[in-house]
Amino acid sequence: MKLATLSRKEVIHSLNRKRLRLKIGGFNVCLSSPIPEVADHLLCLYGAFEVVDDEAFIDFYTSLASPSKVRRYFRAQVNFSFDGYVPFKPLPYKQASAMFEWGLNWCIANHSHHYLVIHAAVVERNSQAFIFPGTPGSGKSTLCAALACSGWRLLSDEMTLLSVADGLVYPVPRPISLKNRSLDVIRNFSSNIIMGPVVKDTAKGAVGHVRPSDESVDLGEVPAKPAKLIFPKYLENSNTDLIPLSKSRALLKIAENCFNYNILGVQGFKSVSDLIDASDCYEFNYSCLEEAVALFAELAH
Amino acid sequence: MLENSVIGLPKAAVIRCRFWDDECVIYNQFTGETHLVEGMGAEIFKLISEKSATRTQLLQTIHSVFELETGFDIEDFLDNLILQYQKLGLLDVMENSPA
Repeated sequence: MKLATLSRKEVIHSLNRKRLRLKIGGFNVCLSSPIPEVADHLLCLYGAFEVVDDEAFIDFYTSLASPSKVRRYFRAQVNFSFDGYVPFKPLPYKQASAMFEWGLNWCIANHSHHYLVIHAAVVERNSQAFIFPGTPGSGKSTLCAALACSGWRLLSDEMTLLSVADGLVYPVPRPISLKNRSLDVIRNFSSNIIMGPVVKDTAKGAVGHVRPSDESVDLGEVPAKPAKLIFPKYLENSNTDLIPLSKSRALLKIAENCFNYNILGVQGFKSVSDLIDASDCYEFNYSCLEEAVALFAELAH
Repeated sequence: MLENSVIGLPKAAVIRCRFWDDECVIYNQFTGETHLVEGMGAEIFKLISEKSATRTQLLQTIHSVFELETGFDIEDFLDNLILQYQKLGLLDVMENSPA
């Protein structure tokens, strides 16, 4: 049963009773929250996701709630918690849905050490995974959103999960997080996107999320073989330049972009090395999304 | 300085090397550090990752791979390189005992 088959009232009821359980890629996530806006966020962006039954194993028990009764009404705030642990300081109440996305990123990045977790967007076409590692502001999510709007399968806009067992990339297709100018850039790029409400004045500025395609969600447990490793950099008015990068340098850059390279130790080095062996490596400068999408379509052909 | 030395990877299996073209990436399991090694350094590790080598063998390999400028003191350069890698725990320098 998909979340979209539930009414708003039913979603709010499930959230209130700690029984909203969603299958997100290979993870089962339970979310509880008394905040109605969270239900709206989920219905808008997670409609294609399966609701899992009460007996299913849950990877992450999460909740979004006010830190105290006072903070529900006076300068209202929200806390994200995982198994009762509160990893972040509270945020303004209006940022609850964005906090869910950030909190879930934290859960996955910190508790999924059967994967090498790379801070990278990843999309797939013709059975080839294109991995875009990048620091905030590099334009990886914008590029990822443009490719996802152009028929590429979304595996993740934020975290590439590389299995240490088989070297394949496992999806966790969730809403694509966009910030500030990228919101308008993607709205102008495609008229077919569904975007959730934009949350303003967060620590990252204005933040909005694009709904992943139903196909990407349906293929949420189907891994992809890594093929290209591309380090993007958005540079205003730049040409579209794809520059080959030596594999050794690519390895160091990937290691810097991993959440758990040091935790995995020698296994992390082996996983990164195998990824580098399997991938063509590039640096990529761009300012025009249309040109970028055309170039990658050609590369995946 | 290292005339009678044999150079090899540390006996405890703490070093992992991967080679691409003329570069090498080395992972030191003890320190958790990852090193990029290029040029002559990569040639040294290519050789010793197969089998420990004497300083003379390393010099022969370098002479066969690189065109060295006249007057360049390769022996001094090689010794310094080896000592730097030794400090980082990436290789061991052993005395070449007579058979």
